[in-house]
Amino acid sequence: MTKSGPCPAISPNLNEKAAVKRKLPAALITAFNAAAITATPLAAQEILDRQEPLPPPIEEMHPVIVPRPLERIPTGEFGDKVRLGYRLFVNSQLLRDRYVGNDLSCVNCHMDAGRRANSAPLWAAYFAYPAYRKKNDKVNSFAERLQGCFTYSTNGEGPPVGGAEAIALSAYAYWLGMGGLMDFYELDGSVPAISDEELVKGGRREDFPMPVALKKALPVDKRAALAGRGYPPLQNPPEAYSPERGQQVYVEHCLLCHGADGQGFASAGVHTLPPLWGPQSYNWGAGMHRINTAASFIYENMPLGKSIQLTQQQAWDVAAYINSRERPQDPRFLGDVEKLRKKYHHHQCYYGQSLDGGEILGSEAFADFPRRGD
Amino acid sequence: MKPAPVALYLCLFGTVPCSNSFSSDMPPAAEVCAGCHGVYGQGLEKLGPRIAGLSATYISEQVRHFQVGERRNVSMHTLAMEIEGEPLAQVANYFAAQSVRPVTILRRGEKILFTDPAERLAYQGDWPRLLPACVSCHGPSGTGVGDIPRLAGQQADYLRNQLRDWQQGRRKGDRDGVMANIAGKLNDDEIRALSRYFAELE
Repeated sequence: MTKSGPCPAISPNLNEKAAVKRKLPAALITAFNAAAITATPLAAQEILDRQEPLPPPIEEMHPVIVPRPLERIPTGEFGDKVRLGYRLFVNSQLLRDRYVGNDLSCVNCHMDAGRRANSAPLWAAYFAYPAYRKKNDKVNSFAERLQGCFTYSTNGEGPPVGGAEAIALSAYAYWLGMGGLMDFYELDGSVPAISDEELVKGGRREDFPMPVALKKALPVDKRAALAGRGYPPLQNPPEAYSPERGQQVYVEHCLLCHGADGQGFASAGVHTLPPLWGPQSYNWGAGMHRINTAASFIYENMPLGKSIQLTQQQAWDVAAYINSRERPQDPRFLGDVEKLRKKYHHHQCYYGQSLDGGEILGSEAFADFPRRGD
Repeated sequence: MKPAPVALYLCLFGTVPCSNSFSSDMPPAAEVCAGCHGVYGQGLEKLGPRIAGLSATYISEQVRHFQVGERRNVSMHTLAMEIEGEPLAQVANYFAAQSVRPVTILRRGEKILFTDPAERLAYQGDWPRLLPACVSCHGPSGTGVGDIPRLAGQQADYLRNQLRDWQQGRRKGDRDGVMANIAGKLNDDEIRALSRYFAELE
């Protein structure tokens, strides 16, 4: 099969017809996959032998996912869903007042539009669901997990599982992950289109539609543990984290972009520099309100572009500072901060606590899902 | 060190008027600025960049950077040494208040397929090189956010010189070396293309 020549638009019904790459040096494959044009007409017409075993992984480890460039999102109906997912991810304000209740966009916490390893990449999350979550005490599909992001991190309301938004975001996550897996295991071709019903469930299940060879290479029990998932946890800090020290770190390293008042800055209606606390930030139920989660995120991803590396102590301290400020109420709140603290906040956070004799955090929390007109 | 433009000296020493007409609300201390940046701060090619519409904090800060040598330009250093306190605040507020030609705003996600590599870099960055999208700090279409300056409609030559200065350590004063870090990862072609891209936005 040839690797050169123009590539016609790949029609959706050919998406599943991929070809296995054999004996190609990894570097060549990487370079090849980096190109916007991939499959030749010939390759697109070859039918994948789903029974053939895959070549062994390049290294004896979990696959390293490098999502494909966006130019490789296929044309057609499936590709349109992926593109919509990307669009909503980088500008979630498109869903303002419908499902989003603050100034945040998904991309604010997931660098490179959810593509970057160690920045809670979307592709790793996709293959970690369905999964049981203590947060709502049930097995969650990927779309249900997404609903959690909207409820807590964007202080809004989960888009319906069968709706265009959840399908689009699932499609984008699936395309990122599947394309990266196919490249890692040297499977050529477009990411196969799968039904909306399959898309929203997530990839961590026996009946997830994927080539048999890929299924064998990455059994269900390994899918939740893709390298680069989540934010890599930090060690406990040398000294107990301190909001006071954190304030100094904030002033020195964060203030320019996030503002002295932590409210970030908007331009043309988009808070590209997001608010970190207050009514327009994530609420007391969001993962980021945990000091350990915020510390890991900050250590790994801030300042944007990593011109400097904060120390672990600085990351913990500034995470404590940011999360010692009032923010929107935990949506599970039923009128009693202390009760809620006891039920849901047995982790590193300040919800339900008073710092330096101040008000109990959560007692003056801002509204959940305020509409702009309110 | 670059020599100061002749026009600046002529203007400074009163040989020629700095500008034909001054805006009535222009503070006296801003008159000297107008010689190179224009009465309304729109910039004059080869003389001075557009400063209209930049945040007052940013403008004052840049003057301070010229004073202490974090930015290097002979004429700006000389002039910056002449101003501080209230007059500086007035000058900064005056130019900050001037309007700039609006550009069509392209928000992230509105375009996914880029044929112009500079535009792709501006909107998606290049994360394998740890290069964030320019618009994530400079705003959609580079229109500026908070105290982070506007790039849209700025002179291409100026933008290119600044990126080179960041890259080569001639411009400093950015928090945590953010811009030095970013410019250091860009090659000459990218610098040229990005400068032209933002300059030509309409």
